[in-house]
Amino acid sequence: MRVLIVDDETLARSIMREHLAKIPGIEIVGEAANGFEAVKLAEELNPELMFLDIQMPKLSGFEVLELIGDKAPAVIFTTAYDEFALRAFEVHAVDYLLKPVEPPRLAAAVERAAERLRNKTPAPSAHDLAVSARPPGRTLERILIRHEGRVHVLPLERIDFIEAQDDYLSFSCAGKRLRKQQTMSDLESQLDATRFVRIHRSFILNVERLARIDLYGKDSWLAILGDGTKLPMSRTGHAKLKDLIG
Amino acid sequence: MHPILKRRSRLVLYLAVWIVFGLLLTVVFIFGGRAPPLWSLYFSVPMAMLLGMQSLSYWYLVQSMPPGETPIVRMVISWVAAGLASLVAWLVLGYLWAQYLLEPGENYGDEAYGILGLMIFAGAIGISLAVLGHYLAGAFERSRNAERRALELQVLAREAELKSLRAQLDPHFLFNSLNSVAALIGNDTAAARQMCFLMAQFFRKSLTLGREQAIPLSEEVGLAQTFLAIERVRFGERLRSRFDIAEDVRDVSVPPLFLQPLVENAVHHGVAHLLEGGEVCVTARRRESFVELVVENPCDPDRPPSRGTGVGLVNVRSRVETLCGHRASVDVNATDENFRVSILLPYTGAAAALRATA
Repeated sequence: MRVLIVDDETLARSIMREHLAKIPGIEIVGEAANGFEAVKLAEELNPELMFLDIQMPKLSGFEVLELIGDKAPAVIFTTAYDEFALRAFEVHAVDYLLKPVEPPRLAAAVERAAERLRNKTPAPSAHDLAVSARPPGRTLERILIRHEGRVHVLPLERIDFIEAQDDYLSFSCAGKRLRKQQTMSDLESQLDATRFVRIHRSFILNVERLARIDLYGKDSWLAILGDGTKLPMSRTGHAKLKDLIG
Repeated sequence: MHPILKRRSRLVLYLAVWIVFGLLLTVVFIFGGRAPPLWSLYFSVPMAMLLGMQSLSYWYLVQSMPPGETPIVRMVISWVAAGLASLVAWLVLGYLWAQYLLEPGENYGDEAYGILGLMIFAGAIGISLAVLGHYLAGAFERSRNAERRALELQVLAREAELKSLRAQLDPHFLFNSLNSVAALIGNDTAAARQMCFLMAQFFRKSLTLGREQAIPLSEEVGLAQTFLAIERVRFGERLRSRFDIAEDVRDVSVPPLFLQPLVENAVHHGVAHLLEGGEVCVTARRRESFVELVVENPCDPDRPPSRGTGVGLVNVRSRVETLCGHRASVDVNATDENFRVSILLPYTGAAAALRATA
């Protein structure tokens, strides 16, 4: 079985390597020390199983999974503390190991992974992954986008507006645009409704960027942004915005 | 806020005292000044209440001249001046009130000047009593505040102790450290042993220090260094630290476990989120009559909003402020890429305040 180890601590990787070496049939194809490396290596090396730490710099283990998306290998989470167990099961993790990991427990987890691979259980949907990437009861704080092989971490406050384009969303921030494959309603449900309003079938607006509203025709308005950008606004969008800002 | 105006029941009691004063004045006017009884009553009671209202303003004078801290000459001069001004105002208002009480066409006889003498006498006594009363109230208020502060301090200290206990049992810290030990045992037994020593030292130190009221700064710095040494085993090259503690502040008394939570925040909310890591920088030096402590660390501008930040900071802030009042301050300066907490403690005051509560 081809295995990738992801952990930001050198010692944690070394003990995992040591334990895995004693399990027959395991081939460690790579190690990643952070989320970006993990995403890159997961695609380059095409592992069948990934040991994934949850708390890492830049990207959490859940965010790594969201970025890899459908091509994600079977995953065993490793963490020091079990506050994430429920979310791990939402993303159909094979197992969830607590550090320090006991070798028999590790062997059992690997066995489960092998079984999962034989049965070819389908991967979780991208939506489930995205939802699980943030703590329960909280709205999205940042958007992860892969663009030309690079990972962009986009804090919400930098986004001016979001436009739907076919099956893509185009995130506009300070004149630059970044595209991500996602649907409008999917994203809308994850955003804080007091900060982002869907003003039109194809537009979600960061309310802070709104400068003024112009009447455009019967039952249609234009949202004028601080930088002069004009966005169309539907009747329901106008009503939602008025409810929010009074 | 004026302590008497703060509660309605106090104001009622205060006015009741002045009404009694007014009734006494009535008796004095009837028998001492041979004034008509009903006139005396109508005149004296409102005048007494007026004096009471005027006297309320003494509170602010008492506040501005706390006994023991004000030169006695200045106090006497201020009070004589304030008392005289108050008395003159009262007499003028008394004259107007007496005129108002006259029936049309009536006039006071010459014997009314006898009343004036009694008024001056009574006014002087009333004002003196009011000043004295305000000083007593002030002293009472101060002692109550001191009591409350001491109590608050106790609660906060206990809270800090509990928090530090919880920090020692911070599951991530404990389990990750154990994981490091488990990893080291396989290939570097000396380092594994060293890690065990460090952990034992950290737990033991924070247990004993947590029970103290005040400890020398050098001890607190030592604890923070042990903490960083343990975390450095985990984070490796990514975690760097620099301590710059001036020689003349090493023995200053500080509240225990006030630096360690700040250093812990610097690691877990700062350096841990950076791919390349960063340096936690702790400096302490004397600045005139203050000791300035600064904990500074780089941080990731894209870091996810962290849970539980600030709890340690809030605790440190409230302890420092309760301990030293306005003379201490906690400043947080957070930019996209840098986080800096600076604390000013009075150079001598810190030690004195701590000893007082010990």
